[in-house]
Amino acid sequence: MTLAEELQKAVPSVLTREWGQLNRGAPWQGGTPELLVSPASTEEVAQVLTWAGQEKVGVLPLGSGRHLAPVGPGSFMALDTSLLSSVDEYEPADLTITAGTGTSFDTVDAALRGNGQWAPFDPPGVSERSIGGFVSEASHSFLWTGYGALRNHVLGATLVTGDGRVLRLGGKVVKNVAGYDLLRPVVGGRGRLGVLTSVCLRAFPLPAHERVLVLKDSAIMSLIEPALLVGTAPVLPASIVVVGQADMLGGSSALVLRVHGAESSVDADQSTIEKHLGMSFDIVARTEADGLLNEIQDRGGLDSRCVEVSVLPSRLPQVVAAAEQVGVARAAVDSYAGRLRMGSNDMSADAVTALRLAVEQLGGSLRVARWDGALRPEDTSRRDAELDLTKRLESIFDPSGVLWPTRP
Amino acid sequence: MATTHEDVVSCSMTQTLSPNVADRLRAIVGHDLVITDPDRLFAYESDGLTAYRVVPRAVVLPETTEQVSEVLRTLHDEGIEVVPRGAGTGLSGGALPTPDGVIVGTARMSRILSIDAPNRLAHVQPGVINARLTEATAPYGLYYAPDPASQSTCTLGGNVAENSGGPHCLKYGVTSRYVTGLTVVMADGEVVRLGGAGLEASCGLDLVGLFVGSEGCFGIATEIEVRLLPQVESIRTLLGIFHTMEAAGHAVTDIIGSGLMPAAVEIVDNATIVAVEASVFSAGYPVDAGAALVVEFDGTEAGLDDDADRAEQCCLSAGATKVIRAKSDEERIALWKGRKKAFGAMGRIAPDLLVQDATVPRTRLPEVLARITEIGREYDLKIANVFHAGDGNLHPNILFDRQNSEELERVEKASREIMTLCVSVGGTITGEHGVGVDKRAYMPLVYNEVEMDMLRSARRVFDPDGRLNPGKVVQ
Repeated sequence: MTLAEELQKAVPSVLTREWGQLNRGAPWQGGTPELLVSPASTEEVAQVLTWAGQEKVGVLPLGSGRHLAPVGPGSFMALDTSLLSSVDEYEPADLTITAGTGTSFDTVDAALRGNGQWAPFDPPGVSERSIGGFVSEASHSFLWTGYGALRNHVLGATLVTGDGRVLRLGGKVVKNVAGYDLLRPVVGGRGRLGVLTSVCLRAFPLPAHERVLVLKDSAIMSLIEPALLVGTAPVLPASIVVVGQADMLGGSSALVLRVHGAESSVDADQSTIEKHLGMSFDIVARTEADGLLNEIQDRGGLDSRCVEVSVLPSRLPQVVAAAEQVGVARAAVDSYAGRLRMGSNDMSADAVTALRLAVEQLGGSLRVARWDGALRPEDTSRRDAELDLTKRLESIFDPSGVLWPTRP
Repeated sequence: MATTHEDVVSCSMTQTLSPNVADRLRAIVGHDLVITDPDRLFAYESDGLTAYRVVPRAVVLPETTEQVSEVLRTLHDEGIEVVPRGAGTGLSGGALPTPDGVIVGTARMSRILSIDAPNRLAHVQPGVINARLTEATAPYGLYYAPDPASQSTCTLGGNVAENSGGPHCLKYGVTSRYVTGLTVVMADGEVVRLGGAGLEASCGLDLVGLFVGSEGCFGIATEIEVRLLPQVESIRTLLGIFHTMEAAGHAVTDIIGSGLMPAAVEIVDNATIVAVEASVFSAGYPVDAGAALVVEFDGTEAGLDDDADRAEQCCLSAGATKVIRAKSDEERIALWKGRKKAFGAMGRIAPDLLVQDATVPRTRLPEVLARITEIGREYDLKIANVFHAGDGNLHPNILFDRQNSEELERVEKASREIMTLCVSVGGTITGEHGVGVDKRAYMPLVYNEVEMDMLRSARRVFDPDGRLNPGKVVQ
């Protein structure tokens, strides 16, 4: 009996397909699943995972499938969440929206923008991401300075554990300390603790006005210090990013600020920042700003090889200097958060390993976000005690160890 | 109060600490920092939830991570339960002793270890008082955002344990948003480092986020790394006076719905206003007002007047009879006074005050408040409401006399009805005070048995023997 036949026997209602029938729209990184299963409800996800847990069948949770971390070789099935696609509840006055995890970020964003609200997060390729993948990955957003990390704004979720238990985590309210916060490790947990089927996000009012400011220079390094200085200004922009060799700026590198607020306050903020730096910024015309912001948002994150670095902001100059061999000239650097993202199609594993060592010596960490071939370099190693706690936590959510069975 | 009074109140020590164990603890922390004298132990019989009192076997007051580790290892080896305690200002009985337990207090771990201004970080010991951190970072143009009402006395360790909020978390978020790294001593004395600024890119699960709010059940945080924010340039504060609570609630909905993002939105009801105005904390609020609404904006000077104008218009449209705008810091403090001194004022009109805590979706506030009033009437209890209206965090305060057992029973029944109500409209049983012992019996209102089991399992990940803060959060 094939895997598909066994699953159909256990969960007759669930849709199963050949892997090749999934239109991912992007190159797949890693091993090929034996089966694609597409549950249409939380209950079906629970039935599938109950069966998988009992039969010890590996499960790869799948959102859009375009931004998965690398998958190693081995036998497993892919659990596609695309049928869990609906905005289930949206109360604009509560600033909360609940959607099935197969819903595209674009769909959620459109619903919010129709009411003068938005979800201020811009990881690479965000518009095509599913909400489930977006939350599971919790990639860094360059709007972190103004709005904080995604993990602070996921209010609730429904999660199916590796053995099919359904857990409602968090809720629909901003303040909630009823019991241990099991939602926190799930956000950014990359599917290791379960399959998300529904997520409640906090929404924000759309800023009345956005001004995009740029300070150009030929090299990324000479922009890091001014970027750090902006972070000490009396007013903070919503985003402070240095981008290398921006196509939208004719190949120039630039410090790019997004300033949000009422029109009068945006004027004042620009003036305050310029006075603080002793430098003048150019205002990017609205017609060009979206293209520039999209380029920054996706920078490196859609390349076949991509690494992300975090470090204390004050150590960014040293990291940038150490990252020359990893394509830092075309990096995007969030100077306020101390985050860098670099991507290319020909990054060498040796260069990444050397950068990782340099970053670790500076007290930072490095993650390989995408890697399309063999010889994948290692991520930053975790401390033993923390790793032990992580494994114990994973074991209570996924006692059979079926989730992400082939992850590197 | 969910757990019945009889469940937890016990004023007798079931056993004293053996001289051998006490001597070993004294060898670690020093003679004076292990308290076994019954007269001195009474000071630790409760936290801010005074309805429950249990005298601990002993209190140990370490000063370093190493001492905490040795103390916990010693107690673990002896099979003795440990109740962590910060300043003891918690309102859910999270630091209530157990009859067989020893309190490990962090009050003497009160050093600010470093302030890293360029990276906007501070490393502190858990006994640092919340407001003191903001004072210490002010010369660098920085501050610590979470501001629980008890910020002049509560400690960062307690804030981490409870994931504390405060009036300004509508805009700035609660404690978990600001904690970037922790040094934690586990139940068996093992020292574990969780997270840390600069390590965000690594692939680990968010154990820091999980630890924050674990109410002393997962370990004792002995070093805390927190993110600081730049001080705000300017502030605008408004006070709206309304005939009815419902009108004030509509004003809040209009303010948030119009796209404004206030730093704080707070409401006090008529019962609270009357109590405040009859006290030494009188703030000049009209005693015939149905509700008073405090709205505060902060940020760049240039945009604040526009925001305040729009909020004022929302208040007037919703039926405010008067809107006052502070023109100076002194006036701002005066406008806040009625809100900030509410709990103190109510303490003067009844022997006991149960400060309840629940959160509901903001749009459900008017109906929930109306029903809470009915519940008070049905149980013949005086309930005064003070709450963080911007994020739907209610504090229905029930005035009572705990010497009156019949009244206490009514308080318990009314509390349960209020909690059930809040959960039924999509809210939860606690927004910022934690579960402790107080809300433990309400947990099944929020979680089914599968979810409760998962909470218990998570606890065992950190403390397999269940020796840390037993009887709190989940049994």
